[in-house]
Amino acid sequence: MLRNLLGLRQIAQRTISTASRRHFENKVPEKQKLFQEDDGIPVHLKGGVADAILYRLTMVLTVGGTAYAIYQLAVASFPKKQD
Amino acid sequence: MTHQTHPYHMVNPSPWPLTGAFSALLMTSGLAMWFHFNSTILLSLGMLTNLLTMYQWWRDIVREGTFQGHHTFTVQKGLRYGMILFIISEIFFFAGFFWAFYHSSLAPTPELGGCWPPTGIIPLNPLEVPLLNTAVLLASGVTITWAHHSLMEGDRMSMLQSLLITIMLGIYFTLLQASEYLETPFTISDGVYGSTFFMATGFHGLHVIIGSTFLTICFFRQLNFHFTSSHHFGFEAAAWYWHFVDVVWLFLYVSIYWWGS
Repeated sequence: MLRNLLGLRQIAQRTISTASRRHFENKVPEKQKLFQEDDGIPVHLKGGVADAILYRLTMVLTVGGTAYAIYQLAVASFPKKQD
Repeated sequence: MTHQTHPYHMVNPSPWPLTGAFSALLMTSGLAMWFHFNSTILLSLGMLTNLLTMYQWWRDIVREGTFQGHHTFTVQKGLRYGMILFIISEIFFFAGFFWAFYHSSLAPTPELGGCWPPTGIIPLNPLEVPLLNTAVLLASGVTITWAHHSLMEGDRMSMLQSLLITIMLGIYFTLLQASEYLETPFTISDGVYGSTFFMATGFHGLHVIIGSTFLTICFFRQLNFHFTSSHHFGFEAAAWYWHFVDVVWLFLYVSIYWWGS
């Protein structure tokens, strides 16, 4: 009976793994080719245009935010006198 | 000769340490703006840039390891040391909160009624939801070990299944704990009992959420065939972190929920 159970488990696993192959293919070799391209592009930009857009967005928000923080610090340093 | 003759990783120049540092500035000054000037824009900007930094920095590490092959055995050893040292620093972080709890509870002051729990505090019953939470996290420790063994044996489906169960147990813990927080008859402002209870369990809950997120990322990486049966340090790091979170809860349960009631 145990042998039958083991057989059933193996069939179930095989069925499930075939189904998963339909949904998920191994795209790692493609990625490896893309990121090992000898083009001198640093890893944070090597994925394509989306990388550059996200980088620029992050930088703008960070630098802009820092400028705003320093501005608020300046405002907070000279409180308005209350009459 | 243009190839490296050593096993180390000479990283490309990266902007993320800088953006990370600035995001920390924005978060801290943002907190000050929120507390004192009723403005949340800096804090929100800080949290957003922090998330953007974390996403891009860790995305780059995946690219460097899985796609570019930079994670040699030597590099992996360094990553292991790094994760271990980070977890040790987190142990010290929690040690502080446990110190505070024991300082106040071992010698309760007259203002508290000279007893622990202090007069007027109705503690939670440790045999109700807190015990269930303990079982949930212990079970998740078993399922994550199942996931690791499946991964090492090349059993893709079992690994995905058991990792998913681990993540679901983590989410279940978080939901249970959130419901407990709504049910407590005491609040964080209820003296030193409230402070120690919510600071310790609150930071623990945050770490459960962080751990569950880390595990979820591992789940998607496994779906995308990033891990091999012999090289999967990202998963191991997540598993170490998860076990740490589990152990902290055990200390919390025994000290605050059980002895502290």
